[in-house]
Amino acid sequence: MRRGRGSPKTLNGVSRGLARALVAAASRRQDQQKRLGGLIYNLQRTDLDAGCTVDQDVEWLLGIGVFLIWNHEKLDFLEFLQYLQFKTLDVHIFKICIFDLRRGQHEGQELDKILFFFPMEAPFSAQLSVIGLCEGIITFTRIFSPEAACEVIEAERHSYVFYEAEPDIWMVMVMEKSKDNESFWRCDALRRILKEVHYLFMMFHGSLRSLLEKQPGGELARNRLYPFVLDYLTDFYVGKKLQMPSFRDSLRERGTVQTLTVSREVAIEVQSLITMLGYSCIGNTTCKSVILFHDLLVSTTLSPEDTTNIYTYAVLRLTPQALSSSTNSWSYLLKGTSATTVAVGFTAATGPVSDGSQQLSRDASSAGQGQGNNVPRPLQREKWFKGKDGFLTTDIWGAEVGSLVPVLPTVWLRETEENMCLCIYQHKNLTVVILIPACSLINEQGLSLAKQQLVENAYPKILNVEEKLSRGWGGENSYHVSGYRYLVIDGDRHISRASPPGKVTTLAKDSLLTLNKLREEVDLEKLRAQRTNPEHENDFEVCIRAKNNAWVIAKVTRGKELHMVLEKANETLLYATEAVEKFSNRYCEGAFSSD
Amino acid sequence: MASDPTSLPSPSDLSIPNPSPTEEERLATLNLEEPTGNHAPIPRPLSNGSSLSADFDTGNEIEVAEEELLGDSTDLAEGSSSHGGGGWREISEQDGEVASCSPSSSGYAGERGSSGASSGIEEVDDGVALQDDWVPGKRHLDEDDASVSWRKRKKHFFILSHSGKPIYSRYGDEHKLAGFSATLQAIISFVENGGDRVKFVRAGKHQVVFLVKGPIYLVCISCTEEPYEALKGQLELIYGQMLLILTKSVNRCFEKNPKFDMSPLLGGTDVVFSSLIRAFSWNPATFLHAYTCLPLAYSTRQAAGAILQDVADSGVLFAILMCKHKVVSLVGAQKASLHPDDMLLLANFILSSESFRTSESFSPICLPKYNPMAFLYAYVHYLDEDTHLTLLTTSSDAFYHLKECRLRIEAVLVKSNVLAEVQRSMLDGGLHVEDLPVDSSRRSRSISPQMTQENNISGSRPPHMALGGPAGLWHFIYRSIYLDQYVSSEFSSPINNSAQQKRLYRAYQKLFASMHDQGTGPHKTQYRRDRDYVLLCWITQDFELYAAFDPLADKVSAIKTCNRVCQWVRDLENEIFLLGASPFSW
Repeated sequence: MRRGRGSPKTLNGVSRGLARALVAAASRRQDQQKRLGGLIYNLQRTDLDAGCTVDQDVEWLLGIGVFLIWNHEKLDFLEFLQYLQFKTLDVHIFKICIFDLRRGQHEGQELDKILFFFPMEAPFSAQLSVIGLCEGIITFTRIFSPEAACEVIEAERHSYVFYEAEPDIWMVMVMEKSKDNESFWRCDALRRILKEVHYLFMMFHGSLRSLLEKQPGGELARNRLYPFVLDYLTDFYVGKKLQMPSFRDSLRERGTVQTLTVSREVAIEVQSLITMLGYSCIGNTTCKSVILFHDLLVSTTLSPEDTTNIYTYAVLRLTPQALSSSTNSWSYLLKGTSATTVAVGFTAATGPVSDGSQQLSRDASSAGQGQGNNVPRPLQREKWFKGKDGFLTTDIWGAEVGSLVPVLPTVWLRETEENMCLCIYQHKNLTVVILIPACSLINEQGLSLAKQQLVENAYPKILNVEEKLSRGWGGENSYHVSGYRYLVIDGDRHISRASPPGKVTTLAKDSLLTLNKLREEVDLEKLRAQRTNPEHENDFEVCIRAKNNAWVIAKVTRGKELHMVLEKANETLLYATEAVEKFSNRYCEGAFSSD
Repeated sequence: MASDPTSLPSPSDLSIPNPSPTEEERLATLNLEEPTGNHAPIPRPLSNGSSLSADFDTGNEIEVAEEELLGDSTDLAEGSSSHGGGGWREISEQDGEVASCSPSSSGYAGERGSSGASSGIEEVDDGVALQDDWVPGKRHLDEDDASVSWRKRKKHFFILSHSGKPIYSRYGDEHKLAGFSATLQAIISFVENGGDRVKFVRAGKHQVVFLVKGPIYLVCISCTEEPYEALKGQLELIYGQMLLILTKSVNRCFEKNPKFDMSPLLGGTDVVFSSLIRAFSWNPATFLHAYTCLPLAYSTRQAAGAILQDVADSGVLFAILMCKHKVVSLVGAQKASLHPDDMLLLANFILSSESFRTSESFSPICLPKYNPMAFLYAYVHYLDEDTHLTLLTTSSDAFYHLKECRLRIEAVLVKSNVLAEVQRSMLDGGLHVEDLPVDSSRRSRSISPQMTQENNISGSRPPHMALGGPAGLWHFIYRSIYLDQYVSSEFSSPINNSAQQKRLYRAYQKLFASMHDQGTGPHKTQYRRDRDYVLLCWITQDFELYAAFDPLADKVSAIKTCNRVCQWVRDLENEIFLLGASPFSW
């Protein structure tokens, strides 16, 4: 790794105290410059050494100063500059901020509100400006709508999507609209990203409020949030660019699970496996399990919400596709086009970096090393390995004191409000996630015993199920229905099924845009129905014959949704109706059929 | 207008004369309380010698549909008896009846003294405003942004200046809302400072829509769940209405003094804005951007058109004969074209200002789509209670000429029996879905005058018994793209009270926005079914059809019925449309 000469050393020596002082000075520009005199000089030197073009604005320097707080001198400064140079590519396209309105109430303490801000190098003035606007609008809308919080600010060049993750803790995603005519998206799809990352965070770290209560200074929460969200974002990189879902993803639904349909015979086998996993692992403790085949859910004994979380995590990091991260999963959760090159770890990179996700991951690692002890990064890439015994292991959670045995990861279940240890067994494309109550596992011996028992008891069944599933497996296009491009959502059970992404890409842009718009309307309609009479079933149906002659259809009935595009279809409405009817009868057990 | 000819857009090759008062002078005179003379080009319709702000009374004014009056939960007793009559206009008419039942003595609600916050809330929540003696123009003057009742109003409209000075607020006293207005300004300029422009904010069912027009900011805060496009269109119309009164040259005042206080210039025009805002919940013209005609026999309309044309040839820019909001005939000077939005705003201005009714008036107005910078001069005269003639000219001293023109027109109209026909048509109403011909053999009927009898028959059937047209057809709107005109059927059961009419209106509005999506529209067909309706929309190069059916209507027969409606309208187009005078295709 390259090392800067002289000045970087000086910079790396900037103490936390100094950085704090820099921040405190942010409101008084003249003062700033005096205090910053030396630092500025050094930075300029470094800048020249590194051959980077860096904004000389004082506020930018303040940003660096604070960045150093989180990095505790562990970051190589040159590397940081490279990162900045790289980051300028997408710095303005996308922002995420998380802030707590209960903090920083007094003037001069506004920075205290900020729990997370991406991009990290955004000057504090810019961060405060975004948060100031959001807070202002939240307060303003409460005048008229005290019961329903602000959802979105739509401006000519940006969309601000709001999600109140916990009372007074807000997550806001700011999307910049580009001029390439691709900037159409559904607010709800973006809000689901915020929701997903928050749910995953809660699963591993507990609520933000509890972290803030544990450590009122906020460092604990920030130290966990930064690496977590940055690691999460690595999955949205396509080459150098962060790519958030757009209208092209209208036939997917984040926050839902995609299931595998199995024959009755296989279902019985699976059921018997689940029963065995539930009772026979450790003495008389009841374990829970989630079983996946490829990226599809086979079975679960968790609540829909917890299932969604575990499933999402498994698809992101645990399935065979996720483990061999050179080829990304084809799952709906990920961009089909996203190709992440093999990671080179935090220290291995030399010269300019080519992949954004690596870089983010590197930020995350540097951000994660606060407080002297390592913060676990459950979403860090390439940290799960399949052992010879078929179990997946990771050192994300560190190792037991005095041994090399990794600590078992634990997750927090929303439904039962208990901590569970994650034990993952993988056989070919079958991934079995077993959740063992954390209190029942006293030590490492208990775990290996459990593993041993599992292999002894369940192995034949696992083999059997895997074989049968493989035999019936139709490949990633198995849920393609010729002539249809569709998405079916069962909102109550958090389940969806959709045309394979590869097939969706054959749709014309206009069809997708119309679909995106229609879905947005359906989102609003659903919210309206929830508000006006939550008990009533809200059934409605829209069929649009678009300018390009495609039929774009949405049907909501008894909590289920069907979205569909028929491109090569007859022009009559009756034809479209019939097509929906056929589809519903054949693939949805008549859920959307009219009678 | 002449003070700055270079800034005139040139939608026409019309040369605008150079009347004496310059733009600045005109603006300066706008806030004069005293008229400058009976027939001089005075800022408002002041022919009776008093200004608008002083002399409203509830008298015969009938445009009193109100947000709360039409609240969904209210079942107007009077509503069920409404049939026949003037289509969409009925909403306000019947509310007018409701309102006029209760005595009201003064022009402003504020003068009623205490309409306390608590009663206000009730009004908002359950539409109990029926007993409220309600008057045109501004109401709830005692409210401000601290009042709970004010916050619960379903739909606010604000106009403010870029420095944050309030210019107009639908509810509450502008002066008391200065702080709130400053907040709105702060939001807009905060986003603007970031190199962006805020379009809307959504929170639950509330939507805040922003529109920036140079130094004028317009904001709507609504929980009516209308689409953004619809609310934005409404703000555009409000801005247009403001221009109609002041012209765009008001911007110059802000160039000279950014803190310029504009509200006095609009003094007394509250009634114009509140009437326009009410139109946003009953008048399809506000989102269709088309106008509608009073059904008349072809020859009758021809006769009216001929005399108007005669006048237009003598130096009148536009001659418009209307009955309430419906056009009887319309003629423009060669190559001059009148935008449907301008017609809407002009008609609203005339119909909402009581003083036009009392005697002939000559008033400067601006047609924002025609030329936002210049004033035209409108000679307005009511030929009978509902029928009014408007003659527009560029010349500020044409009053006597226009008066002569009017006398000529009036004489011809009376002589050729046009006015009587107009009155009869008003009574008969327009198309009734119950009369939709079952097969093509009945196609050739006309609705007037032969249809009068049939209409009487349909009108005489008990309204509660009527179950709409064939296949569960409840209502339709047909818009001719080529003509810039639309026709909508009369309401029939079960759309028989104002709350239901307004709900249907909003459903159409949503359908329209969905069909005309900016990025991908217009779509060709749309079928939409929810708990309230089955809606069908069909757009071709020539027309747009919006039809509402019973929510249980059968798809196949609904489609057939739509085809029949289109055929029916085409068969009747000589009578329901103004042909050969398409104002936009001269």
